[in-house]
Amino acid sequence: MKRFYLSILLVAFEVTQLQAQQNAPPLPFPMQPNASAKPTAAAPAIVTVPVPPARPNGPVQKSLVRITSTEVEPDYRAPWNAGALQRGIGAGFVVEGNRIMTNAHVVSNSLERDGDPNKYPAKVQFVANDCDLAFITVDAPNFYKNMVPLKFGGIPELESTVSAYGYPIGGERMSVTAGIVSRIDFQLYTHSSIDSHLAIQISAQINPGNSGGPVMQNAKVVGVAFQGYSGDVAQGVAYMVPTPVIRRFLKDIEDGHYDKYVDLAMTYAKLQNPAQRRFLGLKDDGRGVLVTTVVAAGPCAKTLREGDVLLAIDDHSIASDASVELEGEHVEMPEVVERKFKGDTVKFDIWRDKQQMSVKIVLSTVWPYLVQGHSYDARPRFVVYGGLLFQPLSLDLIEAYQPTDLRLRHYFDYFVLEQIYLEHPDVIVLTNILPDPINTFLMPYRGGIVDEINGKKIRTLDELAKTFSEPADRFVVKIIGDGPPLVLDPKQAEAARERIKTRYNVVREQNLQEQPTKETKVSAVTGPSSLSLARTSSPRVPMQPENLLDKTEKISGLQGER
Amino acid sequence: MRNNLFTTFAIIFLTVTGAIAKKEPALPTAKEGKQKPLSLVRVNVTGQPYDYFRPWQKKAPQSKRALGAVLSKGRVLVTADLVANQNYVELERAESGEKSAANVQVIDYESNLALLEPAEKNFLDGIAPLEIATDTVVGDRLAAWQLEPTGALVATEGLVTTIQMTHYPVDVGQFLTYRVSISMQYRENSYTIPLVKNNKLAGLLLRYDPRAQLVDAIPAPIITHFLKDAETERYDGFPSAGFSFFPTRDPQLRAFAGQTGKPGGVYVTSVEPNMPAMKAGLQVGDIVMAIGNNVIDQNGNYVDPLYGKIEFTNLLTAHAFAGDNVPFQIQREGKPMQLKITLEHRAAKNYVVSPYSLDQPPLYYVLGGVIFQELSRQYLKEWGANWQKEAPQRFVYLDRFQSELFPEGHRKVVVLSQVLPANATIGYDDLAYLVVKKVNGAEVKSLAELAEAVKHPIDGFIKIETEEDLKQIELEVAQVAAEAPALQENYGIPSLERLE
Repeated sequence: MKRFYLSILLVAFEVTQLQAQQNAPPLPFPMQPNASAKPTAAAPAIVTVPVPPARPNGPVQKSLVRITSTEVEPDYRAPWNAGALQRGIGAGFVVEGNRIMTNAHVVSNSLERDGDPNKYPAKVQFVANDCDLAFITVDAPNFYKNMVPLKFGGIPELESTVSAYGYPIGGERMSVTAGIVSRIDFQLYTHSSIDSHLAIQISAQINPGNSGGPVMQNAKVVGVAFQGYSGDVAQGVAYMVPTPVIRRFLKDIEDGHYDKYVDLAMTYAKLQNPAQRRFLGLKDDGRGVLVTTVVAAGPCAKTLREGDVLLAIDDHSIASDASVELEGEHVEMPEVVERKFKGDTVKFDIWRDKQQMSVKIVLSTVWPYLVQGHSYDARPRFVVYGGLLFQPLSLDLIEAYQPTDLRLRHYFDYFVLEQIYLEHPDVIVLTNILPDPINTFLMPYRGGIVDEINGKKIRTLDELAKTFSEPADRFVVKIIGDGPPLVLDPKQAEAARERIKTRYNVVREQNLQEQPTKETKVSAVTGPSSLSLARTSSPRVPMQPENLLDKTEKISGLQGER
Repeated sequence: MRNNLFTTFAIIFLTVTGAIAKKEPALPTAKEGKQKPLSLVRVNVTGQPYDYFRPWQKKAPQSKRALGAVLSKGRVLVTADLVANQNYVELERAESGEKSAANVQVIDYESNLALLEPAEKNFLDGIAPLEIATDTVVGDRLAAWQLEPTGALVATEGLVTTIQMTHYPVDVGQFLTYRVSISMQYRENSYTIPLVKNNKLAGLLLRYDPRAQLVDAIPAPIITHFLKDAETERYDGFPSAGFSFFPTRDPQLRAFAGQTGKPGGVYVTSVEPNMPAMKAGLQVGDIVMAIGNNVIDQNGNYVDPLYGKIEFTNLLTAHAFAGDNVPFQIQREGKPMQLKITLEHRAAKNYVVSPYSLDQPPLYYVLGGVIFQELSRQYLKEWGANWQKEAPQRFVYLDRFQSELFPEGHRKVVVLSQVLPANATIGYDDLAYLVVKKVNGAEVKSLAELAEAVKHPIDGFIKIETEEDLKQIELEVAQVAAEAPALQENYGIPSLERLE
């Protein structure tokens, strides 16, 4: 659910700020394993288990696998390149049906890697980037022979003890750490960085390499370790994906396909002001929330309106602080939708114009949000024409270029809320210029957003590519704002094409379809017998500020007024 | 101050002579009162800026000490920065320490200049006024004049390295600026410092970068423009045409604009509504080729007889006055045309988001604890020097792109700036920085319109609609009225509104 869309963005923004300052962002373990890193006096107390004795959780090492994956990190600043290779190590565990559960961020952007005699090539079966879970399988028949599948438990009690298993930094063999359940709440899942789901905070030391590993209680899996803060941000704050989220994932993939989370795509506000309640004609019964924004691309667009009051969801009464009682627990209203699937319906009792009525909504996934989250297993889309690099606005693009341009940031931040996607499903940004005599005067246009070409509205990158491929005397590109148009001569662009391709090693001039980087494969190794390095997902490399979207020079850079 | 020092010296001296008694010290013969007074006075200012976060009150008083350049007719020139939001201005003679209260005669925040006059008519008698030298060019040496505590002159010389158009503090267009490489030392009155060439005033310190040892100075041509305007019956301010432009370096852009003949001129990218350029018929896509006889090149520069190539806007600021009818040579789709643009000063209040507001109390309206204000850059500047990053980004966006977002002009943006916790605002406490669209169903384009709309409640409720979530909030008229005295008392608000 993206109820508090704005606050999510604010958090994301602050995260980048922090990143810039101390290079230790509160993101899930994006730390590079350092071969020379030695434990210090302040190092986490990790109990390694060389010869596993009997434990309350049983012989977990018989279920644990160490996952080595090689990833291709797409390069948004040179999108025609394959990207940099990065190696990662995480954990996973065998569950029923001969499959291995791990985090999506452990397998994302993965490539095949050869196995040695002790290693087994594995295949990715399902990846759910929105809840950071994945299943991988191993074809080799021997692999599961001595493995014990783990079973899932429920939500552990607050303050109860749990143990986390994995391959974190500090040694090479399986490690187990213990802690208690500290908090059960909705959290931002930083893998996609746009989705919030239930997550459980635990005090067990979790470090890079724990990702994907099981967190156990009474011999049952109560969560999958997935994110936490690095020690210089907050200590002893780690999160696991709880079993309700895991079970939802298991159910979603039953039909052989992962459909993603559904979303109401609307915002609501608590109805706690007595005058407002009286104005709306509501009883003073502490019920109801106010619908504030309905996203046109979402499932509620035709049914709900701004100013409606939601009184009940699937016959669960909604309190004025947006909580509902579900299975004896007070949870936030979206939790009801969290447990549903694409095509399911949700029923609302609403209060509109002082009348009560019921509406049914068929749930669906809402694409505009995806622009504001990370995308995985996809090559960046782009078009190079006349040395000009055009790319659609996305979180990955923002992170790669770190633009300070106010308009660009506004279009990103308000892409959904101000329904910018209706006019520009792709917000196409002139992100860079590969200098050539034909474009040498166009530098001030960098960072500009394409509005029209030759008087025709450009809505998608495909339309842009198509327009540039059609014959024309000249292309007059209108950039959003009151700057001058960008004018290109197709003859010159054609003449310079090979020259630019060669000079800048542009191996592809466009990618219009989001494509998996390659057939994704990982290699898995059974736990106890192997040596391991601790590490999960690839670190996001801090952006180099020296080129592209120059911080001072923008479309209005050389402009003046009087 | 100086007086006291002198007496102390005298007493010590007497004691010493008394003790040593016999020897006559070889003292320099005093030439007191004979020395020609410098054309400088000290200016002491106590100011109190308005607090835009608590718009009913002023911030704590701040004092600044500066120097003023004495000009003819008993006037003293200082920067507008110095005397903005002043409560009390005092002039102090450097050589005698005599003081007089002073009034601000004329102030121009855009060019950052102000003229003071002493309350005592004859206060500046005996001080020779500074003449103004407008002929400074790159390579000249200018002296920065400061004063020692004794009143003696400290002159530091620097080299004029660049003369160009730069943004001044309130950031309304660009003005001619001298950049001087100079290693100045700190003195007590380092606020407004005159720069002098051959004992004539060449400029006034605008900003100083101590690390790079660079001074930007308001140059004499801008000062003389200001003085000339100040001598007229009504001060108009620097003129504006009201259009944006872009260089025509790109041959593709020139071809698109249909330019014929020699390349040059600037491409008109936007024309402000209700401003002189639009009234004269200038259009987006026109190329401005020349102003008067001054041909504009493809970078937007003309050849100035004194400075060589410099941006053409200098012709409109330093040389032209509001009301001047200026001939523009333009090309429209390749055809040469002439337009006569009658320049006007664009007052701060004529912007949708006004660029500055000084010496004027901020407008506000408090309703049951909800505070409404008109969006202004002065308000955004409350977030500090880094306000463009720190202030609510939506507001910064509205300010930056105001002419694009509100092409019709003639309006303000009313915002819900914050909410004071009160009985009427339970559940609204977290609201802040929202743009108000409607009140009681009526569109709101100024704070006065908001106040008017509040008077027409819907069934006893005031309904406020905002651009952002919550989208709507309601207050009950009776409750708001009943709670008003307590609200004023609890938060120390002398009046719940200021609409003028």
